[in-house]
Amino acid sequence: MAKIGVFVCHCGENIASMVDTGTLVKAMSDHPGVAICNEYKYFCSDPGQETVKRAIREHNLTGVVVAACSPRMHETTFRKACAEAGLNPYMLELANIREQCSWVHSEKNQATSKAIEITRSLVEKVKRNNELKPISVPVTRRALVIGGGIAGIQAALDIAGAGREVVLVEREPSIGGHMSQLSETFPTLDCSQCILTPRMVEAIQHPKITVMTYSEVEEVEGYIGNFTAKIRKKARYVDMSKCTGCGDCIQKCPVKKIPSEFECGLGKRTAIYTPFAQAVPNVPVIDKSRCTYFKNGKCKICEKSCQIDAIDFEQQESVETFEFGAIVVATGFQIQDTSVYGEYGYGKYKDVITGLHFERLASASGPTAGKIQRPSDGKEPETVVFIQCAGSRDPSKGVKYCSKICCMYTAKHAMLYTHKHHGSNSKIFYMDIRAAGKGYDEFTRRAIEEDGADYLRGRVSKVFEENGKLIVRGVDTLLGKPVEVAADMVVLATAMTPQPDAKQFAKRIGIGYDEYGFYNEAHLKLRPVETAKAGIYLCGACQSPKDIPDSVAQASAAAAKVLGLFSREQLEREPVVAAVGETTCAGCWGCVYACPYNAIEKKDITDRNGNLIKQVASVNPGLCQGCGTCVTFCRSNSIDLAGFTEKQIFAEVMAL
Amino acid sequence: MSEPFEPKIVAFVCTYCTYAGADLAGTSRLKYAPNVRIVRLPCTGRISPMFILKALQKGADTVLVSGCHPGDCHFTAGNYHARRRWTVFRALLAFTGIPEERIRFSWVSAAEGAKFAEMINEITEQTRKLGPFTQYQELQKVIETQSTY
Amino acid sequence: MGIQEQYRSEAAALLSSGEVKLVIGFGEGSTADRRRPLFARTPEEAQKFVLDAACIANLSTYLVTEGLLSDGKKVAVFLKPDGIRSVNILISEAQLKPDQVVILGYAIDKAEITALEGRNISDFSLGEEIRSHTPPPHILQEAERIEEMNPAERFEFWKAHFSKCIKCYACRQVCPMCYCRRCIVDVNQPQWVSTSSHTLGNFEWNIVRAFHLAGRCAACGACDRACPVNIPLRLVNYRMGKEVIDAFDYCAGENSSQKPVLASFKQDDPETFIL
Ligand SMILES: Cc1cc2nc3c(=O)[nH]c(=O)nc-3n(C[C@H](O)[C@H](O)[C@H](O)COP(=O)(O)OP(=O)(O)OC[C@H]3O[C@@H](n4cnc5c(N)ncnc54)[C@H](O)[C@@H]3O)c2cc1C
Ligand code: SF4
Ligand code: SF4
Ligand code: SF4
Ligand code: SF4
Repeated sequence: MAKIGVFVCHCGENIASMVDTGTLVKAMSDHPGVAICNEYKYFCSDPGQETVKRAIREHNLTGVVVAACSPRMHETTFRKACAEAGLNPYMLELANIREQCSWVHSEKNQATSKAIEITRSLVEKVKRNNELKPISVPVTRRALVIGGGIAGIQAALDIAGAGREVVLVEREPSIGGHMSQLSETFPTLDCSQCILTPRMVEAIQHPKITVMTYSEVEEVEGYIGNFTAKIRKKARYVDMSKCTGCGDCIQKCPVKKIPSEFECGLGKRTAIYTPFAQAVPNVPVIDKSRCTYFKNGKCKICEKSCQIDAIDFEQQESVETFEFGAIVVATGFQIQDTSVYGEYGYGKYKDVITGLHFERLASASGPTAGKIQRPSDGKEPETVVFIQCAGSRDPSKGVKYCSKICCMYTAKHAMLYTHKHHGSNSKIFYMDIRAAGKGYDEFTRRAIEEDGADYLRGRVSKVFEENGKLIVRGVDTLLGKPVEVAADMVVLATAMTPQPDAKQFAKRIGIGYDEYGFYNEAHLKLRPVETAKAGIYLCGACQSPKDIPDSVAQASAAAAKVLGLFSREQLEREPVVAAVGETTCAGCWGCVYACPYNAIEKKDITDRNGNLIKQVASVNPGLCQGCGTCVTFCRSNSIDLAGFTEKQIFAEVMAL
Repeated sequence: MSEPFEPKIVAFVCTYCTYAGADLAGTSRLKYAPNVRIVRLPCTGRISPMFILKALQKGADTVLVSGCHPGDCHFTAGNYHARRRWTVFRALLAFTGIPEERIRFSWVSAAEGAKFAEMINEITEQTRKLGPFTQYQELQKVIETQSTY
Repeated sequence: MGIQEQYRSEAAALLSSGEVKLVIGFGEGSTADRRRPLFARTPEEAQKFVLDAACIANLSTYLVTEGLLSDGKKVAVFLKPDGIRSVNILISEAQLKPDQVVILGYAIDKAEITALEGRNISDFSLGEEIRSHTPPPHILQEAERIEEMNPAERFEFWKAHFSKCIKCYACRQVCPMCYCRRCIVDVNQPQWVSTSSHTLGNFEWNIVRAFHLAGRCAACGACDRACPVNIPLRLVNYRMGKEVIDAFDYCAGENSSQKPVLASFKQDDPETFIL
């Protein structure tokens, strides 16, 4: 027999002023199955909770309804109280007579009868609640970090620093990401390589971190605490265990004219190469598509030049499988292909370049050893025009959003240019200057006030060549006049965009993305580093355009989430999950298709001799998130959802 | 004269969006018609057509079904599945003689407290104009009188 | 050789070679215009098969008899295009394995019977034919007439019909798609559908069944023919089929690899009715 306790809260005056609680108590006391019904000023207070607990013990209650505020407010509070009094915490329902009744109505009789109906229907529901136990799933305390840019490196170091194992997967031959391409970094102008290289070295030397470069995550299965990932290691054709990084092979390789990706095509590389001098690991790879041996079957000069036989033309790619408890996605960004802007002449004029090119020109280790020389003839430009928002904030051709970093790096570029080439002239076309951040506004001011950067507010309509100069035509909207600048070089602050394969990759690992391909956080404000898929976290520019400080902060935040998860061996989860009635399941697999989390598997039912009798659906409680989509699909009513069972809802509706 | 008609509206809502939106209407102290009774479910994907049918039989004059906007589902896709079911179920009820105005569907996010309040007012008013939904209720009465034998 | 003789001998050959364990076809019925299903397990029994314009039943429903195909052996069955369509649906819902069914296909055009080519489900492509399929003119006219009614008239129309239902479940029994081991009407905890046959409960039952068949009905008309009180079940099934084509561009049984229409979605599915 059901013995339900109903506790009507006044919430001070919040409820009592609009709902006649006495009438509500009276109505509930008379309701079948209600063993006790009380009212009190604040049930969420300590004495209030004590009253509930005492009633549970004294009356041996089988269920509790607290008619008070929204369950989103105090469900946890009262669940705890129930548990402390020895009642299963899931034998509780909250009747929301505040947010959805007293606060929104102005006529006492109507509000009171509504409160009665709400409470009554939940009494009927709670009678049919089942005792539930939180689900505990084991946690594999090893993390997978995908992407070896600064964000990925930071996350890996933080997790490993706390003593947990990390596998860091980077698809390029070296870790470092875009930061390794930068010259100096705003807002402090410290050299990017100088602050990054120690981090890269620390990562590769860390006993708890396995760095897998030239590798890709092929497949991820499983759920929080229990992921399995297949990682494909591409063939490097160099034995990593032998190579000492002496670089003899690179010296000898006869194919020397390959445009270097790292140098954005401004420099050249060989067929066997490391992307840059400080590469980590400092082990070259052979670019199979360019190697003479792979193309013609003859050469192997590198093999001969290597003193320790580290070159291995027979090396095959391999796939390794690991178990992980958590995944951090840090796959970074790309810059937008600016050739869509025909008017800027990118791709047509050699001296119209992107900001990333400029970074390489300004970098001491770059193709010009840090001298700003224009690509066409190597001359030092006298006048450089920078065009901000070349793609950003332009819904028609580019992207709608602000790339956030371009105002800052353009100011940086103008400064670097003046520092390197006194008496130079930088003109910056901008729409707004967005320099919010610690030391950021000061930084842009410095560019203007100390380094003489000339900011022109307005859009550029056309860049064309005339008498060996690039004529930049635009409007100065502050003066309201057209302007023309004769420049020697034009630098476009191109938009930061997601990796070109971002969407496919997201599908592969099962996380969400926005219209552009930036990855979706679980909640923009309150859960910014989690994804909707439990156990997968985000950091860096794969989530939205970001600078280094933000990427690093987010990486540490993601690491903290991972470490929080790893602080326990078992993970406790809400038991609101689906379960299949195997006797009636017809094996139509509708639920399997419908489940948004692929939580339903096909299970063989065999007889005693192991012969297959039938296949039925089976919910993996670790994966199920409890939406109930499967339950609604099932025609034969063979699945039910704990906490919201068919019986419970039926009773709730019938009592309304 | 019998009592004036007070419509009864039963709303099936998901806890993450519309329920939270209704809570927000409360915390913002927006006033709306007291005629709605809310049944909280984890997701629109859990809202079975059977619930709607039963509510109509048990005296609901209008049923409201509401959840997260497309793309916002807490469970990523529950609302897309729900939308398909509603499309079909709605056509079925219409074909068997239930006026379309008796079953209403909406997306109300956790931030749309005002939308929720306005919508309840509008639905209540509309239901008042339509009058009680007698078709199922009368058949239900027949059963109840029969079973008293 | 007429098609009847041709299929008799083919059925006999399938049985004697051991390729199939059973052939499901038609035998003589109580009157000349009635046929009953005939289950032949020997070549001799296969000689009793009849195939003529009275063979309108959808025999695919026997394929989902519990346990029939669990030994992995094959069964041959006489099927019209609507039966082939049901087989597609049953395969896509994992109730049949494509290689376990040998199809002896035929079509009826007025009194004319023609054999259909192909024996395996993959030999038949129904796409266009069933998409453009329209129910018999009297059904179509009736459906249009109902659409034109106002809701109250529609309700009266169905009330008149559903009040006759005796909950015999013949409609469910003959339908190949009603293969559930336990139908929702047999669930009594909770009792979503009342068991006694009062009008409201009959509404419930018929609405639930129509909803369960939405996007799955092969339009064979078996339920309609089976109903002892002549409820025009085809009308509502037709309306549901039309809805899924119009709204989701989904035509049940077009092929055997469809995902169930109500277990899939497109992000841009129509939603004009949602506030
Ligand atoms: C021109 C320019 C100048 C800039 N200047 C500054 C500055 O001065 N100061 C500042 O704070 N910020 C600056 N930034 C921003 C800075 O580059 C980024 O904030 C930072 O690089 C983001 O780091 P990340 O790790 O998120 O991404 P990335 O640096 O892009 O690293 C991502 C890594 O993931 C790898 N990866 C991608 N997909 C996969 C995959 N599927 N599997 C495995 N690995 C994968 C990539 O190869 C890459 O190594 C500048 C950016 C640009 C374009
Ligand atoms: S939908 Fe129901 S009958 Fe079909 S497989 Fe799932 S549980 Fe089984
Ligand atoms: S309740 Fe939702 S998440 Fe769980 S198995 Fe069913 S459809 Fe999947
Ligand atoms: S519902 Fe009727 S017409 Fe449709 S497949 Fe079943 S028996 Fe045939
Ligand atoms: S066959 Fe006709 S009478 Fe029998 S249950 Fe179906 S609709 Fe009702």
